[in-house]
Amino acid sequence: MRIRLVVAGLLAPAAIAAQEARPVQPPATITSSGPDAVEVSIYRGASDTENGQFYLDELEGFALISETRTITLPAGPATIRFEGVASGIEPASALVKGIGIDEKNQDANLLSQRGLLDHFTGQQVTIKRTDPETGKVTEEAATIRSGSDRLLIQTAAGYEAVACTGLSQTLVFDRAPENLSAKPTLSVAVPDQPGGTYTITLTYLAANFDWAANYVAELNDDGTRADILGWLTMASADATSFVDARANAVAGEVYREDSDADDSLYAQGFAPIRYNCWPAGTTGRFTGYRYLRRRYALYAPPPPPPPSIAFASREAAADEGVIIVTGSRRAQQEALGDLKLYRIPFPTTIASNSQKQVAFLQKRGVKGEIVYVFEVTNGGAANHIERIFRMQNDKKNGLGEPLPSGSFAFFQSALGARQLVGEDNMRDKAVGEELELELGGANNVTASIDYGDKEGKNWEEFVLTISNANPNPVTIESEFFDEDDLQYKRFNKRTFKRNGATVWRITVPANDAVELKYRAYDIDEE
Amino acid sequence: MPKNIYKQTGFSSVLIQKAGANKTKVNKAWFYRPSTYLRGALPHKKTAAFLMMTAAALSMPGTSALYAQSSAEEKTEQGDVSVTIYNGGQALIRDERQIALPKGITRIPFPDVSAQIRPETVTLNGQNFDILEQNFDFDLLSPGALMAKAVGQDVTLLRTNPATGAQTRERAKILAVNGGVVMQIGSRIEVLRDDGLPVRVIFDRIPPNLRAKPTLSVTVDSNQAGTRPLSLSYLSNGLGWRADYVALFDEGKGAIDVQGWITLTNNTGTTFSNANTLLVAGEVATLQQQARRNRNRSRNRNQQIRGNNPGTQSADRERLGDFYIYPLEKRTTIANAQQKQVSFLDVAGAPAARGYQYTNGWRYENKDEAESVETILKFSTSREGGLGDALPGGVIRVYQRDARGNAQFTGESRIDHTPGGSDLAIATGEAFDIKVQPIVVDRSRITSGEFETSYRYRITKDDGSSETVKVDRAVTYYRTQMQYKVTNASNKAVTVDLAQTGLANYWGDTRVPSESIPGTQRNDNTRVWQVPVPANGETVVNVTFDTRY
Repeated sequence: MRIRLVVAGLLAPAAIAAQEARPVQPPATITSSGPDAVEVSIYRGASDTENGQFYLDELEGFALISETRTITLPAGPATIRFEGVASGIEPASALVKGIGIDEKNQDANLLSQRGLLDHFTGQQVTIKRTDPETGKVTEEAATIRSGSDRLLIQTAAGYEAVACTGLSQTLVFDRAPENLSAKPTLSVAVPDQPGGTYTITLTYLAANFDWAANYVAELNDDGTRADILGWLTMASADATSFVDARANAVAGEVYREDSDADDSLYAQGFAPIRYNCWPAGTTGRFTGYRYLRRRYALYAPPPPPPPSIAFASREAAADEGVIIVTGSRRAQQEALGDLKLYRIPFPTTIASNSQKQVAFLQKRGVKGEIVYVFEVTNGGAANHIERIFRMQNDKKNGLGEPLPSGSFAFFQSALGARQLVGEDNMRDKAVGEELELELGGANNVTASIDYGDKEGKNWEEFVLTISNANPNPVTIESEFFDEDDLQYKRFNKRTFKRNGATVWRITVPANDAVELKYRAYDIDEE
Repeated sequence: MPKNIYKQTGFSSVLIQKAGANKTKVNKAWFYRPSTYLRGALPHKKTAAFLMMTAAALSMPGTSALYAQSSAEEKTEQGDVSVTIYNGGQALIRDERQIALPKGITRIPFPDVSAQIRPETVTLNGQNFDILEQNFDFDLLSPGALMAKAVGQDVTLLRTNPATGAQTRERAKILAVNGGVVMQIGSRIEVLRDDGLPVRVIFDRIPPNLRAKPTLSVTVDSNQAGTRPLSLSYLSNGLGWRADYVALFDEGKGAIDVQGWITLTNNTGTTFSNANTLLVAGEVATLQQQARRNRNRSRNRNQQIRGNNPGTQSADRERLGDFYIYPLEKRTTIANAQQKQVSFLDVAGAPAARGYQYTNGWRYENKDEAESVETILKFSTSREGGLGDALPGGVIRVYQRDARGNAQFTGESRIDHTPGGSDLAIATGEAFDIKVQPIVVDRSRITSGEFETSYRYRITKDDGSSETVKVDRAVTYYRTQMQYKVTNASNKAVTVDLAQTGLANYWGDTRVPSESIPGTQRNDNTRVWQVPVPANGETVVNVTFDTRY
């Protein structure tokens, strides 16, 4: 109190002098309640796997959100509060375009139990007690004397701890403080300006978003062509809905840095209060140092009215997922630096806690082949034979599009119905790359390796036999990778080199077997 | 003034002067330049407006209910506060308060110090007194502390009968607080709430040394009475800063616009009001910082990136020892639980280039699939062809425009404190269309015809003569033919900086008898090739390594 008097005494003449120069007002606080238009670009998290799946409660990606807002300012310095930003906002990334600013502030002073208690520390509140038996309510004035985690009040009777009594009682506040916000709010300080209406663009990164690519491939009967439909699934676990947004998804690896520990400011605003009481050990049982919180609740003012936009739940969003794949409804791809950007060509609502799907790729009759692949290592242990579908990602074969990593599901008709024949994950594939997607293990194609008849000082002969129990011919590629001390040579059939491996590619007729003889040389023995 | 005119000019005259003084010109600002804030960055601005503002807020009670209320709510016992903030959550706080001292020994409380004060660092300066002792009362006012201090004293118990709601009031003497509160009520001894029934404990008073906020107190012996300035100085945790950069890269023009923001974060539990603020860029050695520095080192991925060279140019900034200091021009209030950002750097049109790097690990092994190369952004902090300033450590977020001209995020990278004149190469992501697939084409054992001495010993014979025996052994080399298939699906020709590391492993005796394009040996562990790749094409690099393993 003394200090305040001194300050007032010192500054009052200055204030009067200033008032003579020109009228002085505290900087006006203007609230921008929401965006007029918004663009949301969703990125995948660095640790995202290629499996095309995610869970709404642990989205690892993020979004770049760009909001256009219109705001009218009075002349002079002002503070603009941006409400309705994403709850996962990374405040340090925020950019404001359209007006010069002095500083950006992000306060974690939320309208919460903690926020209320901290705010009213030292001030008068009302304590309300309800008789559990009669329902009779008594109220008494009280002053909060200590911080939120150590709640102590002063009443006419003396000092007491509210949360340690076991009574049904609560604190009632006469108003919601102005400087506590219902939602995380970014504010900027604007220097002296002539006033007027401004169009401001607010851009920031926000956590709690993700997207995935899912490919559905319909194979023809002989497995030589596939119709491929690519789906882009976007998800938001944010508390804010973005209505009629321009939405994009960005593919490719984007590096993010670990956020500093101090970025957890928000956690403070949201953290529930833990009431510390006096030692509460009883003779009956050990209860630790802290009383459980018992029937102690804060009556906050009623929540603000819900926004006028439709609040789409996860289920509702799923219902909306009508498959529309005409060209104009497909996400359009463009290069963004060394990344790929998929633009959804129509306005869409990215509702809070929802996911939605949009097609981004449709290719019919992509040429490919089903091949069995068998890898020979370490002398010739009979490894697992994989059945794969192989495609070249080029125009000639009917594809030739950047393919963001995701999951592939293959379907084929059998017994007159569409059946799942395999699922695999794929990494980012550029145009010109080869795609090899696993359909599953082989059951009717088997390989066995036996010693041959011949043997030398530093080599041994082996015989690889591949049997096909299918009623149709199959193509199989056996790959031989040299080891540090072992080399495969002297194949008795035609082979070729591919990516460091010696490959024997052969078509095994229906219900037949083929044989390959080769030698394994120990390179350490001369 | 009509609003459209203001929007066209954009800024106050101060800014226009600045843009003129700066050699670089903003063609089309994608974000508006912030107005003057940091001293040194821009011409000084009068602080009178701020003072007038403060004065008005204090001297005009009742003009605005909100303002009157908030000034009452934010009352603080702090005086003239100066804060020097270091990187890494450490700050030096100087708080000069006008305090009236009587003659003789007095205990002076200093409320509203940081709740994360390091009490061992406190110093108090002033005239005409001696310090007897300094105390920092951690004993915060809490139910537990209040009960512990009440041992031996009487409290009032107010019991409520859960069935009838009838209240009974009695006095109790607190005997002990040991895992439970033992009380004497009349002639009986009871444990508080042992029955689990509700009971209100009402204390008559709060002991004076239990405080709502952490409070420092100093006992002094003053040799004269009177009000005088006392300057309190201490270190505190929980108040830190870092830099955040926004870089808009124009690949076509080969230029970047960079804005630098200082991000202050206050987690101290205390608001510093109207503080004179100074930021120190650099790792001032503190005990906590050692661990943090090690952590930062290990996580900085740019240390793997080729093209980072420290520079030798001094920035036009004030200095403290080896560190740059960034004073905030205006006094500012750093609220608790607040993150505040102010601008300190704004450069447009600095030259920048895109680069691509790929580093293969030590082992010569096949990769099943091609891997994307890293996307590198190269620029300089030199005055001649760069940002012309030292950069405090922080995160650079890189944006590029999409086909519609909107800035989109393309990745971020952390930099260490970077002197002026440095070349920077930061990795922001991976290129979707540019990939490398390392393949082992062949591996064989070769005889090099080289020998090494493996033993040498001396034999002394009976007649006294001696003989030295040497045993030589042929050196075995293994020859590995590597192939690096570099593919480019984009419609522009690129050059990939391709490196093979691990050459110094084991005996470190690695030779490169042939390579399809000339490489450079960066160090004993790394060999680098600059691989030109045509648009929509591929380049195959063949390299043969001879190693001892």
